[in-house]
Amino acid sequence: MTDATLSAAPAAAPKPRASLLIADERTRKRNAAESRFRAYGLSAIGIALIALVVLLSSVLTDGIGAFRQTYLTLPVALDSARLDKNGNRDPEDIKKATTLTYGKLLDQAVQNTVAQQGIAIAGLTEKDVSDLVSKEASAQLRNRVIANPELIGQTVDARVLVNGRVDGYYKGRVSMDSAARDSNTSPAQLQLADALKDKGLLATQWNWSFLTNPDASDQRPEAAGVGVAILGSLYMMLVVLVLAVPIGVAASIYLEEFAPKNRLTDIIEVNISNLAAVPSIVFGILGLAAFINFAGLPQSAPIVGGLVLTLMTLPTIIIATRAALKAVPPSIRDAALGVGASKMQSVFHHVLPLAMPGILTGTIIGLAQALGETAPLLLIGMVAFVKNFPAAPPEGLFDPASALPVQVYNWTQRADPAFFERASGAIIVLLVFLLCMNILAIFLRRKFERRW
Amino acid sequence: MPVSWTLLIVLAMAAAGFAIGRSRVLAAAGGDSRRLHSRTSYYGWNIALFTAVPALFLIAIWLFAQPQANRWVLGAAALVLAAMGLFWTLGRTTPQFRARIAVEGFVRGLLIMCSMIAILTTAGIVFSMLFETGHFFRQYPWQEFFFGTTWSPRFGGGSQLGILPLLWGTLYISFIALAVSIPIGLFAAIYMSEYASPRLRGIAKPLIEVLAGIPTIVYGLFALVTVGPALRDYFAQPLGLGSSGSSVMTAGLVMGIMLIPFVSSLSDDIINAVPQSLRDGALGLGSTKSETVRNVVLPAALPGIVGAILLAASRAIGETMIVVLGAGAAARMDLNPFEAMTTITVKIVSQLTGDTDFAAPETLVAFALGLTLFVITLGLNVVALYVVRKYREQYE
Amino acid sequence: MNDMRLLERAVDQTDIKISARNVQVYYGDKHAIKDVDVDIQDKTVTAFIGPSGCGKSTFLRCLNRMNDTIDISRVEGKIMLDGEDIYDKRVDPVQLRARVGMVFQKPNPFPKSIYDNVAYGPRIHGLARNRAELDEIVEKSLRGAALWNEVKDRLAEPGTGLSGGQQQRLCIARAVATQPEVLLMDEPCSALDPIATSQVEDLIDQLRAEFSVVIVTHSMQQAARVSQKTAFFHLGNLVEFGDTDDIFTRPQDPRTESYISGRIG
Repeated sequence: MTDATLSAAPAAAPKPRASLLIADERTRKRNAAESRFRAYGLSAIGIALIALVVLLSSVLTDGIGAFRQTYLTLPVALDSARLDKNGNRDPEDIKKATTLTYGKLLDQAVQNTVAQQGIAIAGLTEKDVSDLVSKEASAQLRNRVIANPELIGQTVDARVLVNGRVDGYYKGRVSMDSAARDSNTSPAQLQLADALKDKGLLATQWNWSFLTNPDASDQRPEAAGVGVAILGSLYMMLVVLVLAVPIGVAASIYLEEFAPKNRLTDIIEVNISNLAAVPSIVFGILGLAAFINFAGLPQSAPIVGGLVLTLMTLPTIIIATRAALKAVPPSIRDAALGVGASKMQSVFHHVLPLAMPGILTGTIIGLAQALGETAPLLLIGMVAFVKNFPAAPPEGLFDPASALPVQVYNWTQRADPAFFERASGAIIVLLVFLLCMNILAIFLRRKFERRW
Repeated sequence: MPVSWTLLIVLAMAAAGFAIGRSRVLAAAGGDSRRLHSRTSYYGWNIALFTAVPALFLIAIWLFAQPQANRWVLGAAALVLAAMGLFWTLGRTTPQFRARIAVEGFVRGLLIMCSMIAILTTAGIVFSMLFETGHFFRQYPWQEFFFGTTWSPRFGGGSQLGILPLLWGTLYISFIALAVSIPIGLFAAIYMSEYASPRLRGIAKPLIEVLAGIPTIVYGLFALVTVGPALRDYFAQPLGLGSSGSSVMTAGLVMGIMLIPFVSSLSDDIINAVPQSLRDGALGLGSTKSETVRNVVLPAALPGIVGAILLAASRAIGETMIVVLGAGAAARMDLNPFEAMTTITVKIVSQLTGDTDFAAPETLVAFALGLTLFVITLGLNVVALYVVRKYREQYE
Repeated sequence: MNDMRLLERAVDQTDIKISARNVQVYYGDKHAIKDVDVDIQDKTVTAFIGPSGCGKSTFLRCLNRMNDTIDISRVEGKIMLDGEDIYDKRVDPVQLRARVGMVFQKPNPFPKSIYDNVAYGPRIHGLARNRAELDEIVEKSLRGAALWNEVKDRLAEPGTGLSGGQQQRLCIARAVATQPEVLLMDEPCSALDPIATSQVEDLIDQLRAEFSVVIVTHSMQQAARVSQKTAFFHLGNLVEFGDTDDIFTRPQDPRTESYISGRIG
């Protein structure tokens, strides 16, 4: 206290006492700085939101086209002489007729239709007419006939895909000008399509088959779909659900409720927090080296993808589960122990059920993260071209399949710009799945949220 | 005998063991369950667990190590193991047996094993990469890998596999991404925690977090289809800086957008951890809000924010899909941000997809790249987690 | 005519620094302060006492508009500082707080050096023209807060490294350095041990020479030791206000008496 008694209180420099009602020069400047600072903050939020809007709208506008497809409806004469030479409708015999044969039938049908409708267009070649129909159409017609052999000999109304360029013409991707420079189409072909559209034979319709078709080859973007990819992604989610959730919850229970404070526990904890931040591609390398090269599991199989994604998702699930367990107040544990329950009983009978909503939410977030993951799947061969649907699980887990995000990547690597539309369409499917999962998570959190 | 049959038989044996154990111990106690040490179901569980779990483990490990194993041999071994477990535990089932303790010990062991998977994963990552990297360095000198300035793999020999151009591309793109995301993310976090009304926060915060939930492949496609061509047509070509849609700028910008929610939510947490009393102190002295933020809140939060930035940097360095689709494939050391360059992750993907020959250095180099990436990101993560933890302790 | 009367009143009340009339404070739906009238004299220590939750801190925070930082709070009525309504729309709370400083319940030094802690206010308000002047203000303020001798050799060390009592005196020095006219103290000793408390109490007594001090305290002994005027709050009402001696020896209101004799806690 000596210094206080020695010194006088601060001899306040005579400060001009201005009225509070008038802001002085300095205050005005400081308030201007304040407004600028606020403006920076607000514009940062604005930029982030604009980025979100641009990102989503660019994907949506590009991808919505994949859900609409142009079809030509025309009568096709299924000539029994060419499709079933023996005439006994034996399925084995019918299968001998190749897509080439069906292609010729379709070709004939288109030429006939054009002639019947009396469409005359300058510069229209025969090739323009026959190429109007997608190369995939003959295969689809063949499958239809094999399924219904009694169609042979009749003239059926077939709804067939038109080629990707003509489809692109109705989606604004192809114009008369670009068609003139394009060896795969011609302005005359587009005029023909317009003429058929006027007659009501050609129409752009809702396209369910985008969701159910498998991938298609480079020349047939109009037939490509995400069926195999959706199935592959579902299989992998199944593996993740079956493996990551029990293991993750068990590990969290041990670490949160039982683990002694020792070296080993510390190592596990550090490991988990680091694994959560390891780049995803490193898990791909692990999957390639451990599951494919070392263990000899097949490439492109959902089981391998599922295992890799399980390892990736585990830290997320563990971190979320531990947070949920931590949120259960100790008084609950004490209450259970107090009536003579064992530690294990108190955890499994009381703590775990109370933490369940939090665990579920964390699990769904982890699954959503796994569903969108691409990089590690590239390394374990999921990029391969897969046209056949995998079998039902569990055997199907070992069949080659694709996955939604990998299918997107795959399509971006193709030359035909029509595949970009497909890629954006696949992203829409992916985002819809993610949206549903997140809505479910939010719903669960709202419904079961508990305040202690 | 298919595996699914073996599984079914093992599970059936476990179920039977459960039922037999329960009834036998109850009979031995004369039907009075109060004379037992544990509740009857624990005797059942004890038998079921010891019957099923070891056999299931055997099947899983065997199949993993030797997928083509003879299913009959495998099935027989698993059934013998299950039977041994069944009879051993049946023999121990007496009213005096402390079944609850046995079951709880068993479950505890299972829990410990599950939590060990984290260690196994890390070990798996490190060993798989170390092993193959060792192969690589036996075929290709490490000096040329770490200090080589040319990247030109040629299947057929004579490849030059210097990591420096890849590292340069990685760091350049990460730098741009951080230059975009740190100011935006930080300012957004400051505005949301210090200024925004609850209503605005309630709308803007979840929307920004939507950006974090979007898969990176979507950002990649956005870079490839929208941002790349736009930058090329409106900036690079008019300025005469290049004619490539894929560029460092494209990938950096898009990655920056991806990192905004990452930076902002981490910073938000950290800024909120600064005690309100410090803000009150500054406001009580007549600071404006922005002076409070700049002079008191940010300096107090600085260590935590540095940690968050390090984590974001680690994310940027390890990001794959955006650079695969947005940055290009040309290994180049250039300063022009509108030029296509490539990164470590892009080359890992390109060397390990398609036809791969695991004896050739051109394939094995991917493991060395992966190990380098792992070490860099691990270093950043460890430092960042340490800094953030220290920071939190300071205010707890 | 009118002007003359106003002038008369002004002359009459020169020693009234702050006068509050019909002050109501709401937190959302909660009516936290009910119709409070009080006059704070210049160069005097005024103590606000009352059971916890009675609104004394809330009212204190109204005096320099610290309540503005809480979104849901609403203040009605008039609070005049030197005859100017501080809740007038034209008043900038930043300028107001430079004249009405505040010391908080928990010592809250900034995570900066001791010197920078004290120099913070003068810097943002531009009170020093150069470094020498700033040094002078810092030294005077630290002396004024009876801390100079303890810290003069370690001004560059972080303020968070001081003991609790030293930290609180540092916070007082920090408030004093801004050269306010009124110093509000919200239970400044509640986090301190008895020795540090007595140091801070001595300091408050000295600060009276320069400022008008308003202190919120839950300790009646403290109010009796340091204040000249005491206001007793109960459930948001100002029950009794008067000279400290009168309040403690001859309380008028039965509630005040119950509180002082320990029946309301």
